[in-house]
Amino acid sequence: MIRAGIRRAFRLALYRRDRWEREVEDEITLHLALRAEQLVSRGATPDEAYREAARRFGPLTESRARLLEAARHREQRMHRTEYVDDLRQDIAFAIRTLGRQKGWTAVTMLTLALGIGATTAVFSVVSSLLLHVLPYPHADRIVYIDQQPSEGNSTGIRVTITPSANVVRAWTQGSRSFEAFEGRTFGPRTLSTSGEPSRVMAAEIFPSFPVFAGQRPMHGRMFTERDIVNGGRVVVLSEGFWRQRFGAEPSVLGKVITLSDTSYMIVGVLPAAFQPVGGMHLPADVFLPLDVRDDKRGMSLMGRLRPGVTIDAATRELDSLYARTSGFSGGKIPFKTVITTPAQREQLRDSLVMLTAAVGLVLLVACANVAHLLLARSATRHRELAIRAALGAGRGRLLRQLLTESLILAVAGSACGIFIGWAGLHGLVAMRPTSYDEIRLAHLDSLTLWVAVALAALSGIAFGIIGAVASGRHSTHDTLKSGATSVSPSGAHHRGRAFLVVTEMALSAMLLVGATLLIRSVANLQRADLGFDPKGLYTVYLPTKADRAPTPAARAAFMAEFMSRLRQIPGVRSAAAAEVGPGSRSFSIGRLEIDGETPPPKSSASFVDVNVIDPGYFRTMGIALTQGATFSDTSAGARQVIVNAGFARKHWADGSALGHRVRIAQTDSEPWLTIVGVAHDAATSGSIRSESSAPVLYTASGVSESPSVIVRTSGGAQTLTPVAGIARTMGVKQAPDIESVEQFLSKSLSAPRFIMLVLSIFTALALTLTGIGLYGVMSYTVTQQTREIGIRVALGAPGSRIARGVLGRGTWLAVVGALVGLLGANWGTRLIENQLHGVARSDPVSFVSGAVVLVLVAMLACVVPTRRALAIDPMTAIRAD
Amino acid sequence: MSRLPVLKGTLDLLVLRALSWTPMHGFEIVAWLERAANAALDIDDSALYQAVYRLEERGLLQAEWGVTENNRRARYYKLTTAGRAHLRAETRNWMQYADTVTSILTASKSGEPSTEAT
Repeated sequence: MIRAGIRRAFRLALYRRDRWEREVEDEITLHLALRAEQLVSRGATPDEAYREAARRFGPLTESRARLLEAARHREQRMHRTEYVDDLRQDIAFAIRTLGRQKGWTAVTMLTLALGIGATTAVFSVVSSLLLHVLPYPHADRIVYIDQQPSEGNSTGIRVTITPSANVVRAWTQGSRSFEAFEGRTFGPRTLSTSGEPSRVMAAEIFPSFPVFAGQRPMHGRMFTERDIVNGGRVVVLSEGFWRQRFGAEPSVLGKVITLSDTSYMIVGVLPAAFQPVGGMHLPADVFLPLDVRDDKRGMSLMGRLRPGVTIDAATRELDSLYARTSGFSGGKIPFKTVITTPAQREQLRDSLVMLTAAVGLVLLVACANVAHLLLARSATRHRELAIRAALGAGRGRLLRQLLTESLILAVAGSACGIFIGWAGLHGLVAMRPTSYDEIRLAHLDSLTLWVAVALAALSGIAFGIIGAVASGRHSTHDTLKSGATSVSPSGAHHRGRAFLVVTEMALSAMLLVGATLLIRSVANLQRADLGFDPKGLYTVYLPTKADRAPTPAARAAFMAEFMSRLRQIPGVRSAAAAEVGPGSRSFSIGRLEIDGETPPPKSSASFVDVNVIDPGYFRTMGIALTQGATFSDTSAGARQVIVNAGFARKHWADGSALGHRVRIAQTDSEPWLTIVGVAHDAATSGSIRSESSAPVLYTASGVSESPSVIVRTSGGAQTLTPVAGIARTMGVKQAPDIESVEQFLSKSLSAPRFIMLVLSIFTALALTLTGIGLYGVMSYTVTQQTREIGIRVALGAPGSRIARGVLGRGTWLAVVGALVGLLGANWGTRLIENQLHGVARSDPVSFVSGAVVLVLVAMLACVVPTRRALAIDPMTAIRAD
Repeated sequence: MSRLPVLKGTLDLLVLRALSWTPMHGFEIVAWLERAANAALDIDDSALYQAVYRLEERGLLQAEWGVTENNRRARYYKLTTAGRAHLRAETRNWMQYADTVTSILTASKSGEPSTEAT
């Protein structure tokens, strides 16, 4: 009958609508003609015959419409069936083809899986911490509201203060930018209802907070404004606390518990899902009412903006409300409003942005590698494709086949990738540093999965196109005629692969430089000169003032007694009371005035580091005094002050501060303090990374009220075991907390160490992939040149020259890649600039060592291909083919 | 003799039967059915084409363009393997059904098949 080729031509054309419509018309016309002929042959006149034929066919317009509809239906259905059949065939064929090349398939899938896995893991963290921060309704409109001194501070860090109750009242009453405001404060309380007193974490919140957070009490009720008016002696328990302390007993409602000597009645239990902040603080055990009518209160404030209100507009409104309430006119206010989104407050933000960029580079390397592998494969497939083309497979059909293969690879690779990502995320969470505890909240969410799926689809299509383009370069005729199992790739093909290798090298070089910078930075942090000696140093946190003694005089006596007993403990070498120990800082807010210099404007306020210490502080800490001596008189009337070297250098060119007078002015009645000594700079504040030369003032008056004592021991932590006993015999209910300064410092290093580790893992990953890529290119080159090398060996070329040829080409690619990468790194390292300590982002050591490592890896990747080149037997090589 | 309307669903079966020996185009099918039924069946010509398209859609027929004896382009239909199997099964069903209906219609009052019908 009809040849298959012609049939296909018809069927292809059939898909077009006008084609099958015309066919239906043709069929009707033919039918009518044949019927008429039949009738004429039976004796009818032609006119009668046509009329009768039309009558038998039925009303023409109606019948034709019905037939067209039936044909349309048929075409659609058949088209679909055919498509599904083809697809099934394509998939089966692709799986068979891939299965035949197990090694290649495994390497490609693994490469893809590693790239997608790393991306998934990092993106999960980004998504959880930066994109979906608060589990509250309309979280995208929730912001934090703080205040900041309008003019500067000398602390070297961004300082914000929480607004006081009267300001919050003015805002809640006057603001139109916000739907709701919620205040909160956190603090420990001593629970002393039954048994041993214990410490619980209390959060004071507004009664409306659970509603704001989209939660309701699971038992009882939330406290109300009325409760606050009635004295606010009510408490709502957290679910965890209720289960742990009260055995999930519903009958706790109505019971009374004592928190820090005040009794509260339990009125409700809030579910564990409710936490008044985005999980950054310790979970609160109990919730108490926060009384916004109390002017002495300050509070952390968050609010939900009305839809469409910008942060700028809201800031302006709050500023003007604040100026009006506090009686400042003309726009000059000492504190300006600072509104931040939860993501902006995320301390991991910079690191996460950097890691996202890094993981993007890893993904690019992985994609380049897969592209490589596909190109290498296409070189060996020309013949297969040429034969199929010659047997009648259309170009479109072949393209579809290649796309199907790539998509299958991509889907399988991404499935493995999502699994690796899930495992990797667990790894990240497991090794999270204590200071980045919020990483534990990260999980694989739907957004991340969609990103992974999109990546898979994109890579599948891109790879399919690469394969198709690479395969389509050769004409069927030439390929078949050449008779070889594979053809030598064109120059363009070769250049394409070299370009990919250079790209991979460049990306890896960027990562290498970044990782080296971070490694060097962490090393610097570890051996940084702190200016004090942390070994054997402990901070003892004293009980609250109220727990110690009721009056200042009694507290002074308590402190003297406690210090003397502490010093008698065997192994304690010295002890000194201080407002804050290492790891914390305390500020005074006011205008820093230096006698003899122009004072700052009256409306300004700044933060000044002030630590209240006793004279033995410097000896205990191991901080040297570079000028003068420690306090000789600690009474308030003596008005003595000690500054650090950074302070002295900042204000006096020669650094000689002795005898000068300074004060922190709030009103104008503050007395001037005379500098009696200059202490060596010490990194006592917060983390090691802060500048140790930031200006600090030390004063001594009123140290007996201080909340902490710094102790230097010659033994370990067990030296301080008797402290609990001492506190108890002195009538304190709860044992003081003791913190090791050394451990604290090590913890503060855990964050930079974590980031460094993650970046190093990524770098190693990229480097491995690059090595595999280069190995592939070089092996392939050697295979292609077997004959040429054979001839050269036969003509007497020594092995060393052959080896140089292979190694030289590999190294050359690496060097070019490294140079491009260093240029990239020069630009890219700005992402980690603010995470570097004691090393510039253009650090030549890091750049050079990054390049050297890259070239070494490249040479390593060339070892096997080189040995294969050396093993070529000239006789076999020349005879082959 | 008056012409009988075609019972619903049986037209498909008749078309399959028409094509069971050789591929035909639309008018050939019509003409064959008219001959086979001795002009006793009333078949709307357009309904036949609808049936053909339906059968093609279900994969029971396959269509190919060909040329008639008088050199005219026509769409030829032939049975597929599935169509042949369908024809066999449906023919058996129809026969059983027709027998059963016949035996009921000719049954005596007691319910025994009347001798005259068998």
